[in-house]
Amino acid sequence: MTKLMYSAWFAPMIALLIASAAPTTATATATADEVASNSVRLGLYAVFYHAKADDLSGPYVPAGVNLKAKDVATLYAAYVRRLSPHFETELAVGWPPLTKTEGKGPATLGSVPYNGQVISTARWFAPTLLLNYKFFDESSALRPYIGVGVNYTSFYDRNSTAAGNAASGGPTRLSLTSSVGPAGTVGLSYQIAQHWGLYASYSISQVKTKLRADTAGVIRTSHISFGPQALVLSAGYSF
Amino acid sequence: MSKLRSFLTAASVALLVAACGGASTHTSSMVASTARGTLSVNPPFRIASLNAAAFQSALAGSSTGAQLLQITGNPSCGVDFYYVKFWTVGGANETTQSSGALMVPTGAAPACSGPRPVVLYAHGTEINKTANIADITNPSNSEGALIAAMFAAQGYIVIAPNYAGYDISTLGYHPYLNATQQSSEMMDILAAARTALPKTQTSSTSDNGKLFITGYSQGGFVAMATQRAMDAANQPVTAAAPMSGPYAVEAFGDALFFGNVDLGSTVFAPLLTTSYQHEYGNIYTATTDIYSTSYAAGIDALLPSTTDISSIFSTGLLPATALFNIATPTVTVPNNPQLSVGLTMALKEPSNVADPRTPLFDLGFGTPYLINNDYRVSYALDAALNPDGALPSLSTGLPIAGVPLAAAPPIQTLRLAFYNNDLRNGHWAPLQPTLLCGGFNDPVVFFPVNTGTMQAFWSSLPTGLVSVLDLESKTTGIPTATDPFAPIEAGFQGSQAQLLAFYQSAAGGSLSLPAAENKLVQNYHGSVAPFCSLAARSFFNKF
Repeated sequence: MTKLMYSAWFAPMIALLIASAAPTTATATATADEVASNSVRLGLYAVFYHAKADDLSGPYVPAGVNLKAKDVATLYAAYVRRLSPHFETELAVGWPPLTKTEGKGPATLGSVPYNGQVISTARWFAPTLLLNYKFFDESSALRPYIGVGVNYTSFYDRNSTAAGNAASGGPTRLSLTSSVGPAGTVGLSYQIAQHWGLYASYSISQVKTKLRADTAGVIRTSHISFGPQALVLSAGYSF
Repeated sequence: MSKLRSFLTAASVALLVAACGGASTHTSSMVASTARGTLSVNPPFRIASLNAAAFQSALAGSSTGAQLLQITGNPSCGVDFYYVKFWTVGGANETTQSSGALMVPTGAAPACSGPRPVVLYAHGTEINKTANIADITNPSNSEGALIAAMFAAQGYIVIAPNYAGYDISTLGYHPYLNATQQSSEMMDILAAARTALPKTQTSSTSDNGKLFITGYSQGGFVAMATQRAMDAANQPVTAAAPMSGPYAVEAFGDALFFGNVDLGSTVFAPLLTTSYQHEYGNIYTATTDIYSTSYAAGIDALLPSTTDISSIFSTGLLPATALFNIATPTVTVPNNPQLSVGLTMALKEPSNVADPRTPLFDLGFGTPYLINNDYRVSYALDAALNPDGALPSLSTGLPIAGVPLAAAPPIQTLRLAFYNNDLRNGHWAPLQPTLLCGGFNDPVVFFPVNTGTMQAFWSSLPTGLVSVLDLESKTTGIPTATDPFAPIEAGFQGSQAQLLAFYQSAAGGSLSLPAAENKLVQNYHGSVAPFCSLAARSFFNKF
């Protein structure tokens, strides 16, 4: 269901990117004093999780019960403010993706399937504020950049799935603490027209949370480091 | 003698342990009501869900589990193990939470889902305060495994409390052999579990309205008390099978104080006095009224415990077997020299070499000892003046016809508590088919003075209403050819013979014959449980 939802907007996004990329013959003509200070970008956010979690601890949990997050793709949006010829600041957000958590560990808990089952879902509101350094002269169409910053992640719409409830022992309430952590990015910008640019970047951020699952008063906990890495492809308009 | 004593001492520890072992996203809600029989968490937590194959392989993975499977047969159904938390009352009507198990059969086989009968089960004496019979993941929960394999895996919904004072209950003591409290708690968990069942993840299995009550040892008493209480409350019961229970508490207590000391008595004594002190408030003003100064301090809060029983013995908190002072009292009853002599003789350490139980009884005498001579005399005097009908009278040597309770309520407060909780009290008799199962040679809960007494007490009931199964085939009184339980009796007796041979083999420790026999005695009470449970299941299957 969620996958379908992604592909539904994935197609127009690609179309938008292609459309934006079409006038590639246009030459960037902007000069330093004409450089716009603001830009907005829209694109695709493909998130690859490299989750590391402590084994779930609590009553009636056998050894080795762990979890992992399924990669997601979502809509990317950013506001970028030019600070100087080489510095800009970027506030990036993804349309809060529905991230699925899968069981990792024993094939079954008792006779209940566990490994590979989608046990919970949560939406992420995860804005990242970056300070980017852009290489090359401002008149260059192609400019690599690197950035560092901070990521804030808050989780909402947290749900234990039917499979998760079965594995946990009953209807389960999940809580995940919010995370503040460092983020870094490397990227490439390509100015295709006076106001238009194309952007590709690869980002890493640290998202650590404490999971607390309450099943009929039985509490299980884990510390999870999601380690999301994100590939962003976007188009931007400067003004 | 001393060798036997040490064997039995070590063994009684093992025995006590064995005896006891004999797609919704809605969350569970904490229920605000603390009314009796109300779930405190609904729906309940499922500790484990095992299909028939997984349960079978889990049991087959241990030697005790494999032996159990031989008796129960392989599981036909899977079992979901729910942890039920509910509200009940303590021994003095205190509101308390308690917990227990709801085991629900699962699976495609017709006998595993849809409307199924309920077995309401009461467990045996438990030392461990944290014990949870629902926790099938705990390897020491042998009684939970037994009832799951015997009943739930064969299509019975099983409901079993942990008892107030254990697990999550904050009562602070256990209302041990308190007939009112324990039967109330059974009825409370039954109501709570019936409320829970449709809310579980196994809601395709439902209650078909048939209710079977059973339990082992302490739980045999509780099962019978529950049957009585449900009859009194006009709640339907289909049949009952109390097993190896101390039903005739007064007669059992009298036998014990007169020197027939059972294995485990030093554990049962503080559980009883604490329970009845909370129920009646008149058992003692200080624990030294009953207990020797070696053990009196803190004994009222000793059991159940988070410390294991062997540590309780080894650290001197309780004697392993010495219930009474080996220097027995000389009784002086004013103006009654005959009674004085009679009681002095009756309170001596048993010495009848012709009685095979004498070495067992003698383990109950030693020093340091648990119960003061003065207290023993006060009890025995009450028993002599107002005898229980089940015990041979001091003058005639014969029980009173119909084995009634003491003619009048006893004066001595512990004996009065026994009288009040004795299941002959009130002249109740079962309204439903009832099977009393046990083993004649049981050294922990004596068969003749408990099961035999109830059988005699109910001897005038319509034929077939109450039947008695003695696994030793000594007292059943049914010709083997027509005895429906003959294969179970033969199975038990065969397993005893096998165990005796095993204890003498290299794998079993190469024990001498007397040592092997002693070990058999120590483990006897626990060995009876699966065979009587099998008899109970076969009995319930008829309805």
